[in-house]
Amino acid sequence: MPEPEVHDKLMPLAEAVRKFIPDGCRLRSSGIALRKPMAFIYEVMRQRKRDLTFLMSGWTEDADFLIGGGCVDRLEGSYLGLEAFGLAYCYRRAVEKGIPRKIAIEEYSNFGMTMRFMAAAMGVPFMPIRSNLGSDLVRVEAFRHPKALVVDDPFGSGDKVALLPACPADVALLHAQRCDEEGNAQVWGQIGDDLWGTYAGKKIVLGVEEIVPTKTIRKDPNRTLVPGFRVDAIVHVPFGSHPYQVQGYYDIDVPFRKEYSERSVTLEGWQAWAEEWVYGLDGHEAYLRKLGEDRLNRLRAKRMMSGQVNYGY
Amino acid sequence: MATEGPTSSASDRGYKLTELMAICATREIRDGEIAFIGTGLPMLGGMLAKYTTAPNCTMIFESGVVDARPKRTPLSIGDACLVPGSVMLGGLTEVFGLLMQPGYVDVGFIGAAQIDEYGNLNTTVIGDYTNPKVRLPGSGGANDIASLAKRFIVMMTQDKRKFVEKLDYLTSPGYLDGPGGRERAGLPRGGPSAVITDLGLYRFDPQTKEMYLESYHPGLSVDDIKANVSWDIRIAPKVKVTKAPTKRELRVLRTKCDPEGVFLGK
Repeated sequence: MPEPEVHDKLMPLAEAVRKFIPDGCRLRSSGIALRKPMAFIYEVMRQRKRDLTFLMSGWTEDADFLIGGGCVDRLEGSYLGLEAFGLAYCYRRAVEKGIPRKIAIEEYSNFGMTMRFMAAAMGVPFMPIRSNLGSDLVRVEAFRHPKALVVDDPFGSGDKVALLPACPADVALLHAQRCDEEGNAQVWGQIGDDLWGTYAGKKIVLGVEEIVPTKTIRKDPNRTLVPGFRVDAIVHVPFGSHPYQVQGYYDIDVPFRKEYSERSVTLEGWQAWAEEWVYGLDGHEAYLRKLGEDRLNRLRAKRMMSGQVNYGY
Repeated sequence: MATEGPTSSASDRGYKLTELMAICATREIRDGEIAFIGTGLPMLGGMLAKYTTAPNCTMIFESGVVDARPKRTPLSIGDACLVPGSVMLGGLTEVFGLLMQPGYVDVGFIGAAQIDEYGNLNTTVIGDYTNPKVRLPGSGGANDIASLAKRFIVMMTQDKRKFVEKLDYLTSPGYLDGPGGRERAGLPRGGPSAVITDLGLYRFDPQTKEMYLESYHPGLSVDDIKANVSWDIRIAPKVKVTKAPTKRELRVLRTKCDPEGVFLGK
């Protein structure tokens, strides 16, 4: 019997980005307001990737960093801001002034994007929704034509629906709590659009807090979001979602996000920030060293263990 | 906040306008309702409702939490503090697709940068779409809430540039072009029921679907309202002063909902 190749999936961060994220690809981020694949985002910037089409229902710093770094050409999504921390200034500079380059955005709503990912995940060309009707979301187009179609129910109910085209990704990034060496990946807490968005990826690249024995996964299979055979690469990146939260692992780094929101308001401020936190560091380990043990320890999650269920029969 | 206007200072009044806005939001949630909650003041409004007037309301959050019981002020709709103690965790598909689209959500809250007289909202751009003066975050879930909840409530700061005759972009539908507008567009239900600003509280005429002033906040006048709306806004014949926050509302809001002043301000 030939040796299974499953262990080849585990690789260093830089190698995964080199191998799976070519210039010009359609790249999906993960996590709405948490579990964002930040270690990957920093590495994509360091490797100076270009002309990406970046996909997500709700972006925050992940998209703002890539736009500031000149990695993004097009966006398909629904929200780009820093939530409670304010507007995204790299995004504003790109759209308003073409700095560092002009970008185009095709915009939908959060539900609309999720349904577009669902269509891609299921291998159908579009999905209908009853949202978006009557708004500029179905009228104003950037680069997709048509971006949406409003039609009457062909079965005659008299209802109108908006048909939204599938949104496939060449690569879907997913930051998960844990997986085994085959890539059977478990996620808990809020799922956002990660179920459909991950399966919308022709390739799936995982970042995980922990790699656990397969028996840990098999004892609680309901928690698995994606099975290993769909996963192409695994990168072990503890604190890989910093400054975001990962349920059960660490909390949001509020001062970090606040500092970013303040320093990124001017181009010079952003450049200094990016030099300090991204380009001047040679990888994820250097980033964690710069954050320091004390800061990371303060973010570590309290223990609030789940109950157990009986899987017996 | 609107810069013009003779708003008395927080110390004269005994409360901040952000506090009054959160409390106005609380008063819009009826006990037993399913409420879809967004980041910021709506969260505080929802939490205060649970602690006071609507203990049996269910708070639903966009990224998948049903019946959240947060122990601290959530920083975003995805905050992990919403998870422990909730009854169900799903994702956007469950919340929007299974609960909201078929009509199980009673009330949703939305913020906006611009609003028109029919309650249509813009959170996308200020200025020309292709060459904007200010690029804003976009719809997020706002369009879905405006399209699919049984009713929605707008929370925003107010001035003439925000209460406009014509939106720069129609992100989320209010009553569109007036009576029958939502029906003609094919929207299944809903529409705005109230607009809460730092100056007043507005509702919509059931026949004409036009916004009117229901009450102005303590310390202000109808003239202050008119000076901060760019169309000739209708005033309710029995226009009132917004009921000031009660001691209990303020106490619970300050001690239990946002003790660190994340959204209320320090």
